Amino acid sequence: MYYSIRHLTKFLYGSAVSESMMETRMHPRSDTTQRCLTFHLSVSPRCRVFGYRDHLGNHVHHFDIPGEHQQLVIVAESLVEVQPALLPPAFLAPDAWKELDAMIEQGDYWEMLLPSEFAAPTDELMKLAKELDVRRKDDPLMVLHELNHKLYEYFDYVPKSTRVDSPIDEAIARRQGVCQDFAHVMIALVRQMGIPCRYVSGYLHHGREDHDRSSSDATHAWVEALMPHLGWVGFDPTNMLMAAERHIRTAIGRDYADVPPTKGIFRGDAGSELTVAVRVTPSEEPPALDQEMPVPEDWSILVEKAQQPPPAPTAQQIAFAQMQQQQ
Amino acid sequence: MKTQTPALKNYTLDHAYDEMFVDESRLHSHYEPLLEHFTSLPPGELKRRKQTADMSFLNQGITFTVYGRDEGTERIFPYDLLPRIITSNEWDKIERGLTQRITALNLFLRDIYHEGRILDDGVVPREVVYSCKQFRRQMRGLQVPRNVYITVVGTDLIRLENGEFVVLEDNLRVPSGVSYMLTNRRVMKRLFPQLFQRYAVRPIEHYTQALLGTLRALAPEGRPEPNIVVLTPGVFNSAYFEHAYLARQMGIELVEGRDLLVHDNVVYMRTTTGLRRVDVIYRRVDDDFIDPISFRPDSMLGVPGLFNAYRAGNVTLSNAFGTGVADDKALYAYVPQIIKYSLGEDAVLNNVETFLLTNPTHRQHVLQNLDKLVVKAVGESGGYGMLIGPHSTKEQREEFARRIEADPRNYIAQPTITFSRAPCMVDDLLEPRHVDLRPYILFGDKVTIVPGGLTRVALKKGSLVVNSSQGGGSKDTWVLSQ
Repeated sequence: MYYSIRHLTKFLYGSAVSESMMETRMHPRSDTTQRCLTFHLSVSPRCRVFGYRDHLGNHVHHFDIPGEHQQLVIVAESLVEVQPALLPPAFLAPDAWKELDAMIEQGDYWEMLLPSEFAAPTDELMKLAKELDVRRKDDPLMVLHELNHKLYEYFDYVPKSTRVDSPIDEAIARRQGVCQDFAHVMIALVRQMGIPCRYVSGYLHHGREDHDRSSSDATHAWVEALMPHLGWVGFDPTNMLMAAERHIRTAIGRDYADVPPTKGIFRGDAGSELTVAVRVTPSEEPPALDQEMPVPEDWSILVEKAQQPPPAPTAQQIAFAQMQQQQ
Repeated sequence: MKTQTPALKNYTLDHAYDEMFVDESRLHSHYEPLLEHFTSLPPGELKRRKQTADMSFLNQGITFTVYGRDEGTERIFPYDLLPRIITSNEWDKIERGLTQRITALNLFLRDIYHEGRILDDGVVPREVVYSCKQFRRQMRGLQVPRNVYITVVGTDLIRLENGEFVVLEDNLRVPSGVSYMLTNRRVMKRLFPQLFQRYAVRPIEHYTQALLGTLRALAPEGRPEPNIVVLTPGVFNSAYFEHAYLARQMGIELVEGRDLLVHDNVVYMRTTTGLRRVDVIYRRVDDDFIDPISFRPDSMLGVPGLFNAYRAGNVTLSNAFGTGVADDKALYAYVPQIIKYSLGEDAVLNNVETFLLTNPTHRQHVLQNLDKLVVKAVGESGGYGMLIGPHSTKEQREEFARRIEADPRNYIAQPTITFSRAPCMVDDLLEPRHVDLRPYILFGDKVTIVPGGLTRVALKKGSLVVNSSQGGGSKDTWVLSQ
């Protein structure tokens, strides 16, 4: 299956800002089951775009805009080929736990095993683990299939119910969240059983006959857990799916904090309004490369107003505290 | 000897190694001229010279800041007139040991941020490295100039009761104190010129030029006349004086984060005549605060995009990022094995015995013996976050037991070691006080160690804490050339 993806991000500032510095993670990965055939990143105002691949193989782009500007628009266009996925079996051999431990012992998986910023075993999470009976039993794959199902049942999907940087406790307390929350809760639950688990940022294509809960044509997030013999297996607890042919992977990390689609900073005292629009167009055959990408009129547009930040210590207090480092 | 000299009437020996006395009746020979000189001065003369020294420090603004107190926190660093003397034999071993240790730790950093062979081979557990708060995943696979991660190192040495020098901790991030080493020497030469002449003391004044040469050796390719700057967190940092001092001595700019900016992956300095490219940054800002894009997003002291410019090879930062993983106090326990693994040699300078609290047997032992041990937080320095068992209260021990149970990876324990003692001036008399030694090691195209370092003194009687932030002082350190 081929997908043409167009991902637009627009920052509108209340007044002119300068020295914008931005990193983006929007370039789809090329690895086991998918290949990114073309990728194009356009930025306005005009600037030079640099790129590198991080140690997990994610493509990162970055650029800066020194002069004054009141809006910043980023358009990422890519063409991705996704292989038909072999769905994992329902269960593994009974000694799979032992094999998993041996794998961890020999390989370099600690990064995805230790708690991370958004996926940490908080008290609330440990209570949830007990309630959902998430522990080492049967075999690891069965436990994860079950967990994928349980999380789908336990949490309601409510768009905009949490912010991108909400701690998992908030979602657990309210039993609702967005795809990031589902992913973070699942990662933390899986890691506390001693299974390496990572965050996947990407897109989910919604076909006409699909009934996914997550917002269609937006960025999506799910998880991958390490299984003996199978390697990294993708679970999408938001939609109770196994990651397969409709999931397009952009970046992997320990949690959202490692792989936000955009991460930036600017100089200036202005609020910003963020607009994100994503369009995923499937085709059985590769579209002719010299053909212009479809630019449909009917983009689904997600508008998220930047929320009021909590009262923060004054800049001076923070600077003072941070200067007090020593060795 | 001791009993005949009135100035020594309060000088009592105990089980600690004494830098001056072999025993009640004998002096280490290298201290003879010193003692003779100090006891031959007319009464009141020492006090007068001490006042001169204090005035000199105050006038030069050689002060430091004590954190965690509300009242006036700017103080001069207490200074003791009697130099600490190290023989050339003792120094040779220290120099060999430090060179070996720094070489091995640098290879270790290169390895864990690339192939990770030492982890594959099980010499250092992966968990110790990856659970370290100072481990920087951003550094994985990144090529650093000349493969040098640790350009400036300050290693803390102490002397055991048998006189052996051992390593207490490594400081591989932004070690401070070298400006005190240099100013102590300048003041000492002025106050005691004849005594200085009598000893053949090896010079240290070339430190700042050696530092500049080291930084220049690490400049990016194709920048034959590199622009080198010192990056400070700002005026409220306890070592701000030192940052300014080093910049002035090297004849380079002192900058704060807001003075720099990154454009198209190149770092520039804002000057009155426009932007000027920066090639090498001797940074005294922690990783966490140096770039809000790559590290802590709330940093107000950093330079956005600096890490990307560094990754692209357009600017060199010394020390590199992520070096703190090798001075983590839990990793410290593995340094002898790291030396053996990477160089095939036994460590010249030994470690202090260390209990890892993630090990249940060690933890049990430590919790039962908190009154005898020293407990330290693995990532702290400056004497903060530490429990000294024999000098602690029951409440403090209970508090630490709780903290250890809650986060064992964050603490280590060591036996309470009685550091060696050196003579210090207390009122008009000489009394022994505990001392340590922090030599400074430079590593660019080669390893350079200026002979000496900062001798820190626990000026409070009986105290074992030498950190300036906890009421310690310092004295000049004389390494003899023969």
